[in-house]
Amino acid sequence: MNAAFLILSLLAVAGALLAIRLHNLVHATLSLMFFFVALAGLFVLLMAEFIAAVQILVYVGAVGILILFAIMLTPHVTGENHGRLCSRGWIWGLAGAGAVFLILIAPVLLMAGLDTPPATAALSPSVREIGLVLMTPYGIALLVMALLLTAALVGAVVAASPPARDKDEPKP
Amino acid sequence: MILDNPDQLIVNLVQQGLDLLSGFPIVVLVLCLLLSTVPLIAIFPACFAITTWLERKGLARIQNRIGPNRAGWFGLLQPVADGIKMLLKEDIVPRAGDQLTHFLAPVLLLVPAFTVLAVLPFSRNMTPAAADTGVILFFAIGSVSTLPVFLAGWSSHNKYSLLGGMRAIAQMVSYEIPLVLSTVTVVMLTGSLNTVRIVEAQQVSSWVLGDNAALQILGQVLKWNVFTPWGFIGFLIFFVASLAEVNRCPFDLPEADSEIVAGHLTEYSGFKYALFFMAEYISAFAISGLAVTLFLGGWSGPNIRPWWSDDPQALLIPGFVWFFLKMFALILAMIWIRGTLPRLRVDHLMGFAWKFLMPLALLNIFVAGAYYYLPRWIGWPAGFVVLYVCYEWLGRINRGSLGPKRTYRYA
Repeated sequence: MNAAFLILSLLAVAGALLAIRLHNLVHATLSLMFFFVALAGLFVLLMAEFIAAVQILVYVGAVGILILFAIMLTPHVTGENHGRLCSRGWIWGLAGAGAVFLILIAPVLLMAGLDTPPATAALSPSVREIGLVLMTPYGIALLVMALLLTAALVGAVVAASPPARDKDEPKP
Repeated sequence: MILDNPDQLIVNLVQQGLDLLSGFPIVVLVLCLLLSTVPLIAIFPACFAITTWLERKGLARIQNRIGPNRAGWFGLLQPVADGIKMLLKEDIVPRAGDQLTHFLAPVLLLVPAFTVLAVLPFSRNMTPAAADTGVILFFAIGSVSTLPVFLAGWSSHNKYSLLGGMRAIAQMVSYEIPLVLSTVTVVMLTGSLNTVRIVEAQQVSSWVLGDNAALQILGQVLKWNVFTPWGFIGFLIFFVASLAEVNRCPFDLPEADSEIVAGHLTEYSGFKYALFFMAEYISAFAISGLAVTLFLGGWSGPNIRPWWSDDPQALLIPGFVWFFLKMFALILAMIWIRGTLPRLRVDHLMGFAWKFLMPLALLNIFVAGAYYYLPRWIGWPAGFVVLYVCYEWLGRINRGSLGPKRTYRYA
């Protein structure tokens, strides 16, 4: 465990906690994005550069902006005039959080008895590996996803084109 | 001898200096960190200052004015005067606005603008962060810059600012798609996301390493991606989309200064306002630098080996000279376009990205794939013909009707 890991995980936990606790939705989203960036840093520590870049590209650049777009359309952003949220379901929340925590901690505890594998100094160029794996064993899945995304792109273009005008409608 | 390779003079000097300190690894580490960040933070704001002067002077000449000519020789000290003025101005924060995010927005905007500069290869061995995923990293970090624009609009507690921010985000998100799709061709044909590899793939290495000076010059120019059909169209799409991405004319609707005051930065004043402009210009440098790297051969330019040198990789003119020359040529083109073209309407802006640039970029990917497999003497002309036909076809589809013919009875 090194200093960079400690700092990044502390930042990530702080960001996640703030994202839950802050009443102001925009501030909460900001700290959520802060958490995503810290997570990308953790991926870099794991030598998964590509995943880190995609993490920032998808979560901060796309998902975060999407959340902000949704928030922009809500009237009560600051969360001040609503007081506390209804906290009746805290038992269920605690149970859910405990279950997730157990699922996360169980493999670590089970694997504690095994020998730790030696740390690798450097991995082979990861992007090339990911590309090869994507194109050979998972080629069909990749093609299906590509088709889906292309359809979505074409759909966006169709949605953007003006609707066909009725014959009865007066000409502008 | 250290003068054997003028191209690597700075790199070699730095390396020798670091070798002297090799007994102190911590010092070397700190020095390396500083050496890869401080030049970026020092040089690009200086370029920003020069560019503001160039832009004001250039626009003035286009409009038949003189431009700034009071501060210093030919007004060269104008950026200094502007900077002092901005620093001394009162910083006004709207009382109902969100104090923290209002402060954070301009600061956060500068972070991605400066960070993306690190993946650009300024010269051989002069890439601050030669990451294996350079191009993706550039777009990933660049995509963060939509966030502070939103924050600026939202935190001002002003509906015009918010609307301006929304328009800015819609534009930036839309134009990111043709921008990324046009770079896909380069990544496909190079087979690497590494910016250094992309530049090296644009040189004919056997000619550059050979003894013939003419071939050395040609070998560093002829293989630029812009001279291939997919590269030519890709460069045009990239350049147009990058104009929109950094809010330059004719896509500067987010801050249309003559119509909607300034969009998301209406409520900003003083140095925060200046920071917004600094971030905008630095992203313009970064994206022009990426265009140079991807399509215009990066640091390679008409260059020969110095006659006194035995090193086969030696170059007479340092690579970063070519890089910055090409980058400033693109910036000058941006200024020229700003002085020439009127601003687009907002629906035309969106339509242009989604209905023209994006299909053209997608078709360009197919052409690049065909170009890779066909022999060059078919692929090169056929690629240009196919892309020209696509360009005409898309243009005709998007033309729209002119409406009924108008008759003027009394005219």
